[in-house]
Amino acid sequence: MKYAIKKIITMLFTLLLISFLVFLAFNVIPGDPATAKLGTQATPEKVEALRHQMGLDRPFFVRYFEWLGGAVTFQFGTSYSYNMSVIQLIGSKLPVTLMLAFLSFIMMTVIAIPVGIYAAKHEGSKIDRFITVVNQGIMAIPPFFSGILITLLFGLILRFFKPGGYVGFDKSFWGCLYYLLFPAFAIALPKAAMTIKLLRSSLLSEAKKDYVRTAYSRGNSTTAVLYNHVLKNSMISVTTFLAMTLTDMIAGSVIMEQVFSVPGIGRILITSISGRDYPVVMAIILLLAFLVILVNLISDIVCHILDPRIRQEV
Amino acid sequence: MKKKLIAFLTVFATLTIALGGCSGDKTGGSSNDESSIIIGIPQDLEESLDPHDAVAAGTKEILFNIYEGLVKPDSDGNMIPAVASSYELDAEGKTYTFTLRDGVKFHDGTLVTAEDVVYSLSRCADTSLGEPLVPAFSNIESVEKKDDKTVAVTLVTPDTDFIAELTVAIIPEHNADPDSVSIGTGPYKYVSRSIQDNIVLTRFDEYWGTKANIKDITLKVIADSDMIVTNLQSGAIDMICRITTEQAKQIENLDYNVVEGTMNLVQAMYLNNAVEPFNDVRVRQALCYAVNRQEILDIGFDGKGTIVGSSMFPAFGKYYMPELSEYYGYDIQKAKDLLAEAGYPNGFKMSITVPSNYTQHVDTAQIIVEQLSKIGVDASINLVEWETWVSDTYVGRNFEATVVGVDASTLTAPSMLNRFVSDNGKNFINFSNEEYDIQFACAKSYTNDADKTAAFKKCEEILTQEAANVYIQDMSCLVAINNKYDGYVFYPMYVQDFSTLYVK
Repeated sequence: MKYAIKKIITMLFTLLLISFLVFLAFNVIPGDPATAKLGTQATPEKVEALRHQMGLDRPFFVRYFEWLGGAVTFQFGTSYSYNMSVIQLIGSKLPVTLMLAFLSFIMMTVIAIPVGIYAAKHEGSKIDRFITVVNQGIMAIPPFFSGILITLLFGLILRFFKPGGYVGFDKSFWGCLYYLLFPAFAIALPKAAMTIKLLRSSLLSEAKKDYVRTAYSRGNSTTAVLYNHVLKNSMISVTTFLAMTLTDMIAGSVIMEQVFSVPGIGRILITSISGRDYPVVMAIILLLAFLVILVNLISDIVCHILDPRIRQEV
Repeated sequence: MKKKLIAFLTVFATLTIALGGCSGDKTGGSSNDESSIIIGIPQDLEESLDPHDAVAAGTKEILFNIYEGLVKPDSDGNMIPAVASSYELDAEGKTYTFTLRDGVKFHDGTLVTAEDVVYSLSRCADTSLGEPLVPAFSNIESVEKKDDKTVAVTLVTPDTDFIAELTVAIIPEHNADPDSVSIGTGPYKYVSRSIQDNIVLTRFDEYWGTKANIKDITLKVIADSDMIVTNLQSGAIDMICRITTEQAKQIENLDYNVVEGTMNLVQAMYLNNAVEPFNDVRVRQALCYAVNRQEILDIGFDGKGTIVGSSMFPAFGKYYMPELSEYYGYDIQKAKDLLAEAGYPNGFKMSITVPSNYTQHVDTAQIIVEQLSKIGVDASINLVEWETWVSDTYVGRNFEATVVGVDASTLTAPSMLNRFVSDNGKNFINFSNEEYDIQFACAKSYTNDADKTAAFKKCEEILTQEAANVYIQDMSCLVAINNKYDGYVFYPMYVQDFSTLYVK
């Protein structure tokens, strides 16, 4: 219990710090919502008038604390570039990003776990060596580049999907899901390679431990030892890694949305930064930070369940 | 537990494959409904689709299809009657009397009344919040309903060009929320939008004039310019405007026609006339002589574009002076002499600010840097984000030189020349010339067309002689359109007319 409270306090403090830094950054960079809104219609007088109207001419701390006051009651204000509340705006785009992140996470798990186990089981075989080589290659490719390659291969050459032809899930749920498979694959691939590598080495180092020999001496088959003993123990490090990956996936979605023209949180974040629409940017960044912290918290808990030893240490 | 997990994963994997199989043909094949088109746009529209509030050129050019004014421009830039069927200007040049067209309907089915016209114009002229929504409307003295079919607009000072401002949208008085409910009289009506994704329009079948050909239009936001070619290659969009010559080359062998028009803007290296060394006319002239504009067109634009010599482009017709483009020939020696005379025999360092999202301007700036090095001027490029450009360069006027394109909101001479009047709020280059101010004021006050044109032309000449900026070109405008469609029409201003498009 004490542990949970400590964690939550740290989390709140982190969020507070992040919000302050982002707000500060927006204050320092040139341009503000008023000039962004007026564009070339801007004259110094018009900018001044609009700044006053938007309340941007008030001191930094007044604005920050006003924003903070709203944020603690989950009122993130109204977007400057879009005539709707920030919550509503993010709410309309979040499902796409989350769907993409989860889809890639599932895809990664589906690919990585069987392949990792297979490679460990057949250590040193030709297939194992082949997997290792391919793995190294895939890990070296930056995600956005794999996105471009997938667009080129599956989109423009094989014509499995139409790059840029994203359909909203409100129009066609399956069409949307199908389109998202490709960016999800682009995100999942490099992460899957890393997971395979980790799972394989973790399984192998676990297999060298004494209790495995004991298990064998009791007459267990290789498969039984692998699934009943080794896998369970090596899952701890993999779970921690997967949790970290899940947060990476959310970040990866933001990038991949650009490459695959998917209008999710990433698109909104980028346009809001250039539109100096800081209520939206603040809310999105806090949301992402919150998700990262939350996922880490969950992974801690899962590790507790998987490994009784961790429970005792705390 | 483990078995369950494996079972789940197997089911998921199968589902994924099955799903791929069934929707593959749905997305792969082209739609058979021939009266729809997907058009790419480089940025989302503004938050509010209220035509009187919109400021972004990218929003206004789309709203052109939804809203109409008493008059509207045709593809030659002439003002043709729209919601009004005819108008008269009194001898004094002060009162415009409009006769409303019979049977013009709003998109909600109601008829346009004289009250709606008075409401719309008064809304734009309202000064209760400082400057009126349409700045030029500060010249309006009154808007009056004469009878059910007649509306009179009276000006404070005579202005024969004022008709060009009366393209402002006529909107229904009964629409309480023009911000989010778009009701106009144009050939297309607004259906829906999804932020940062798409905007859907559909043909207005009760339109008073020639009805549009294509029924449904989807405007797809392609915020990342690198994705334009991919979207064309995959067929995700059927048409997109203002592609670069580079992009045009990449789609050369695909099912697209690339049609060429003009951008209708003045691309120039705009110089801050208030900072050293550009406050010296000789330095500015030296730069004009040192920049080889034909070379810029050849290297950066595949030879396309029209060289201009002042702040006016060919679409302006009678106001445009082609001879000014010859005023400064490419002459390195002359440039060096002028620099020496101004006290910079060894050149100087300068920085050219360019908004990074405009590839064409960045390309031009790079060629200029190369060319200026020949006269000893060491120029460097300072790439900035568009918002930074607006706040620091445009509003803050904190720059030495910047390469951008300046366009016109209407085809009246002041829309280009106004900004060079010494105390004008948009005079971002800090141009200050007494004779110019006088000529401009005279030109505005003349009611005789010949005098007016001559005075505006004098203004253009002053800009050239004073080398206010290093004028380059009116860029070519390339539109990629799928072979299935045709009928794209270029306008001499920043609008897109979707009503003329048709399926072949």
